[in-house]
Amino acid sequence: MKFAYYPGCSSEGSGAEYARASEAVLEALGVELEEIDDWVCCGATPAHATSHLLSIALPAISCASAEKQSLDILTCCACCHSRLKQVNQEVRDDPALRAKISEIIEEDYRGSLNILHVTEVLAREVGLEAIKARVRTPLKGLKVACYYGCLMSRMPEALMSDKSEYPMLLDNLMDAVGAEPLDWPYKTECCGAALTLTQTKTVIRLSADVLQMAKQNGADMLVVACPLCQANLDIYQAEAEKLKGERLSIPVVYFVQLMGLAMDLDPKRLCLDRLIVDPMPILAQKGFVHGAVYL
Amino acid sequence: MKTDLTDKALHSEFRQKVEALSGQNLSDCYQCGKCSGGCPVEPFVEVSPTRLIRMVQLGMEEEALNSDSVWHCAGCGTCNGRCPMGIDIVRVKDALRKLTKKIHYKRGSLEAWTFYEAFLDCVRNFGRLTEIGLMGGYNINSGWLMTNVKKAPWYLMRNKLGVSPHTIKRVDRLQRVFKRIEEIEGQ
Ligand code: SF4
Ligand code: SF4
Repeated sequence: MKFAYYPGCSSEGSGAEYARASEAVLEALGVELEEIDDWVCCGATPAHATSHLLSIALPAISCASAEKQSLDILTCCACCHSRLKQVNQEVRDDPALRAKISEIIEEDYRGSLNILHVTEVLAREVGLEAIKARVRTPLKGLKVACYYGCLMSRMPEALMSDKSEYPMLLDNLMDAVGAEPLDWPYKTECCGAALTLTQTKTVIRLSADVLQMAKQNGADMLVVACPLCQANLDIYQAEAEKLKGERLSIPVVYFVQLMGLAMDLDPKRLCLDRLIVDPMPILAQKGFVHGAVYL
Repeated sequence: MKTDLTDKALHSEFRQKVEALSGQNLSDCYQCGKCSGGCPVEPFVEVSPTRLIRMVQLGMEEEALNSDSVWHCAGCGTCNGRCPMGIDIVRVKDALRKLTKKIHYKRGSLEAWTFYEAFLDCVRNFGRLTEIGLMGGYNINSGWLMTNVKKAPWYLMRNKLGVSPHTIKRVDRLQRVFKRIEEIEGQ
């Protein structure tokens, strides 16, 4: 199984641990990745809020490059995934737009590929049974609140398949590695990450609600699959505690980090030490890690 | 608020512009309020998504473009998911945000445009975004120097921010792409 890999900008910055852990887990499960040659930033909100053409041209450059590699695209960032997927669809459905964009980017682009998020590849292409078979240390008794946020649950296809209000992909993956996914009501609430720099107060209020709800439902950790959610929920915990007047201090980990742990992968490749709220105490307490490895 | 319900107001040039930019037919909105019911920032804004759509329907350009709701939006798409008429409200908001650029409405748009421009400048010059460059550029240009930079030490301690900008190989092509789009959209 082989994919064209779109790492996305956060893989070189705040979300590096997500990219590294994903790469490690995919490799262990026999998924090959070929990085898209000379990929560029997807443009995210700044592009689609300011120029429709730019918001299509930027993802189109990377997708056209992947078309040359004749491989479907895998990406880990929920934001990049949603942009790439939307653009691919729009270009495929609109021949006039296809011609216009191909001219702008100086390359033929057909919108012919499938754009997959890493959760889809793991749960559907690799499959839950294959994952179960690869587990060495089941994460027994670890209560996790799977948090999908907005981007993963508002994709048009998710809306159509009725998965947008109560998705299960992450829950199923966590179940496959032996953890205990919780039934909780804030799976798809938005944490406000897009407003981090411009409306910080709103972001803190929204994040605080998510953190508090996870805590109230008895979660040991929040499990995420989006670098924006992770940074947002992890970084504002002191402010959220002040707002709620209670101690929250709940680790926000990437699902692949936990999968890697259960699969006994090299802890260095999982980068659990890069998270701000330290997950080590709980993981050590439950007997999944031996502290010294990480210190 | 006094509203004008004449034919002229209902078929305003403003409404047509928003409909064209967003590709949405706003007559489809029957003001059910589901978009606002699901909106996470609705409790913090003066104008809900439902009211914002109404303002556009009624040609209330000034009020719509000046409302906090245009910028105070997480882009989460919950409104789209809930709308029984399948209206893409996020694209309507994108259209309004684009219109503020030419008109220079003050509320919120300055910070947001500064952020967007810092972000896209970084992409234009390097092909990829470096978060430290973005945070620095944004906070300095918007005069918000200390708001988020105080979080940077945490990030730096854990090597969270890629400090050196990574430049792609075909940056010249990328710059031609930006330029071409500017030319097309400037027309
Ligand atoms: S996209 Fe904006 S308007 Fe729509 S629900 Fe989210 S925050 Fe509210
Ligand atoms: S959900 Fe749709 S129809 Fe209902 S008020 Fe919002 S935009 Fe109008």
